[in-house]
Amino acid sequence: MNDVVTDDPPLSSDPAESLCGLFVDLVPVSGASITVFGRPGAHSTICVSDGIAVELDQLQFDLGEGPRFQTARTGRAAISEDVLTGVHPEWPVFGGAAARLGVGSVFSFPIRIGSALLGVADLYRRTTGPLGDDATKRARSIARRVAAPAVARAGRSATSDEPDSRDSPALRREVHQATGMILIQLEVSADEAFDLLRAHAFSQARTVEDVARDVVQRRLDFRDVTS
Amino acid sequence: MNGTSREARLNAAFVAVADTLTDHYDVVELLHTLVVECTAIVAATAGGLMLADPLGELQLVASTDESAELVELMQLAAGAGPCVDCFHTGTPVSVPNIATSASEWPAFRAAAREQGFQSVHATPMKLRGEVIGTMNLFKVAPGALGERDVAVVQALADVATIGVIQQRISAESQIVAEQLQKALESRVLIEQAKGAVSQVTGLSMDEAFETLRQYARDGNLTLHAVATAVVDRSISAEFLAELTRARRPAQ
Repeated sequence: MNDVVTDDPPLSSDPAESLCGLFVDLVPVSGASITVFGRPGAHSTICVSDGIAVELDQLQFDLGEGPRFQTARTGRAAISEDVLTGVHPEWPVFGGAAARLGVGSVFSFPIRIGSALLGVADLYRRTTGPLGDDATKRARSIARRVAAPAVARAGRSATSDEPDSRDSPALRREVHQATGMILIQLEVSADEAFDLLRAHAFSQARTVEDVARDVVQRRLDFRDVTS
Repeated sequence: MNGTSREARLNAAFVAVADTLTDHYDVVELLHTLVVECTAIVAATAGGLMLADPLGELQLVASTDESAELVELMQLAAGAGPCVDCFHTGTPVSVPNIATSASEWPAFRAAAREQGFQSVHATPMKLRGEVIGTMNLFKVAPGALGERDVAVVQALADVATIGVIQQRISAESQIVAEQLQKALESRVLIEQAKGAVSQVTGLSMDEAFETLRQYARDGNLTLHAVATAVVDRSISAEFLAELTRARRPAQ
């Protein structure tokens, strides 16, 4: 993956993986993911570079907290040079969970077009410590370059009626379908249904997507799990 | 104006224009500052600034005074006059003596003379070849602007043009962001509505989607509107299911 490093990699019609690949190739990090978001829960993961990046992406979605949410809220980079010992009041649970995956430090950069905040690039390193000024500058510059293709891809995916595939941006459609089923089962609002789904997954130490799949396939009915 | 006070005046003008370029500046205020400062610097009597609208027509957006006469004069100049020539060529148009100027501008010439103006100088508002409008300075005395005045006015116009274009890019990016968020939210709502219909009817997600789509089509509604109504339960999913059964009596 690191065999060719150029200053000006082509971007145009590349598959989305290369958007994450840009960060991994040009910034000294272990992995990256790019997420575009609407409202809470309406996250579309555009790309992930590796297995740990997948888990970090999932962890933030499942917990509803993490550097991504901080960046989304503040519009500024959220950085933890040591996820285990650092102090990050906005995400008390994520840090320890990330450390258990073998992650040392995380760096979330906002993705903007003009002044509008559209998403986040989550970078991680297995080691702890600062990213450094040059690498930080580079990461910010790549975040600017990936904005337009990332948004185009998220838009295409959201307006398509095709189900999520392994390669397409994951909007986690089953999670939203399960939310729709739960809101009927319990006669609650969509937001409450989503919160219950997330809470149940957390209490069972399972991913939200995993529990959602059980709901959609009618192996789990929330009328039976009201706690 | 002597050298020192002129310098001070110029510095103040640049500061005034730059000052309006804060985080959330107002474009009209920026352009008003520009035209007022430039009018003073070249000792003109009146000034007006026109920007092209989306159809390419010049519209007056800022002027040193709001008198109907000046507005009318600017409109004439934008129809057939120095403003439109400046806008189309992207170069300054200087008319040192309106009385003896091009005969193809009869209405503009008549109106200008009626108001006592004898000369006018039009400065393009342009950035990298794109002309977005013109600034027009009228004097009661005849004569062209000095070279230095022309350069100073152009420099101030350039600064303001950057401000206008930046603001437009920012407005466009806001639209991109809103469209994306709408698309994402719409998709989330549709998936939730599929789940709700599926839960009530026992239909598969695909069939639930078809039911929603059919209902939207029959009622001439958007899928987004139907999904919203199902999720907030202003249409019950049972009702949709009834319709589906009525449509497909035998399976």
